[in-house]
Amino acid sequence: MKTILKTIQWLLFIVLVLIGFTYFFWIPSVQEPAYALEKTWGKKGSAPGQFNEPTGITVKGNEVFVSDGRNHRIQVFDLEGTALRQFGVNDLERPMNLTIAKNELYVADYFADQIKVFSLQGDYRRSIGTPGTGPGEFTIPGGVAVAENGDLYVAGFTTQRVQQLHADGSFVRQWGITGEAGTFGGKLRYPTDVALSKKGTLFIADGYNDRVLAMGPDGKLLTKWGGPFAMNIFGPFNGWFTTITGLSVGPSGNVFVADFYNDRVQKFTQDGSFLNAFGIESSGPTHTTIAVAEADDGSVFVADYANHQIQKWRPGK
Amino acid sequence: MNFLCRKTLLFFVTITLLWSTTGFAGGTQYNMRVDGLACPFCAYGIEKKFTKTDGVDSVDIDLQKGLVIVKTREGKTFNEKKLKEIINDAGFTMKSVTEKER
Repeated sequence: MKTILKTIQWLLFIVLVLIGFTYFFWIPSVQEPAYALEKTWGKKGSAPGQFNEPTGITVKGNEVFVSDGRNHRIQVFDLEGTALRQFGVNDLERPMNLTIAKNELYVADYFADQIKVFSLQGDYRRSIGTPGTGPGEFTIPGGVAVAENGDLYVAGFTTQRVQQLHADGSFVRQWGITGEAGTFGGKLRYPTDVALSKKGTLFIADGYNDRVLAMGPDGKLLTKWGGPFAMNIFGPFNGWFTTITGLSVGPSGNVFVADFYNDRVQKFTQDGSFLNAFGIESSGPTHTTIAVAEADDGSVFVADYANHQIQKWRPGK
Repeated sequence: MNFLCRKTLLFFVTITLLWSTTGFAGGTQYNMRVDGLACPFCAYGIEKKFTKTDGVDSVDIDLQKGLVIVKTREGKTFNEKKLKEIINDAGFTMKSVTEKER
């Protein structure tokens, strides 16, 4: 009996030490004043200013571009939420994450298996890629980034890869192994989005591995983060994720991550140091924070999937 | 007499409308219970698979009830094995299915 009690005591001690280690090493504290929710706009519907499952967002100057998923359109607003224009109804099937480069809007179209390109006013320009799993082909593209030289980086959700292509669509290289989900050996698990820094660092939302990967211009891994050892350990703590559905590098140079199942945005430096977290909790069964973008003035805009609305957050002082 | 004529006409119009409505619908509705539909990246995959399947008229996802609702065109049916296969291909497991004539 005494031996059993001693064993239990030791086990408890080990568990407490492990919890202490986890807390100390893998749960960073907030480094900034809290963000405040300034406003929300939109509700479920198809009229201008309404949404049926917003799935992507990006900001350019004084305009917010939103993927309005089931309404298969892009809606554009000013920074206060006034609806300015909409487009894409005849060209888009299921728009997802967005990016703007050289005054063009790039839309990852989940159902069309293509990247669709529009002028910022809404004129359709071109489609990139054809459906498939070969080099330069797309199956369920989740997000896209565009480099200074025009190269495209496309996250393939079910192909388990991120492809780099020249502007004409020709294949350059890829990260991940086509069709093989995994956590180790250079594999990805359902990547959902990508973003580029001004210096050319590629950030990959390795969605179901619950981590962010940062790749240098030479294609090699610079760093990765998300829970202990960034090895697909998910959770609700600071610096941990539970399915990343979008990410962006803001004008401030920081990385904003949509942490979907935790209903929040997490903000990091480019080397993965945790800075802040904020969001609106979902009342279920789905979740709120699916995509995020920062404006020049530091405001942060969130595509709120569960509530069919846009959230605007103001940085704390 | 006039009243009787009107009533008869109304009766036939109603019957014709009812017949034509059921004639247009005709297909089958499948309600499939699937777990883990909260993330649109996954749920859209199921929707896409069914949308691109021959004979499917419409696909709806009911997140509250965890249901994938597929309506087929007249004369088109799926057996349980085929439905399971499509759901499996999208990375999910079908827990159960009910069907009814539309």
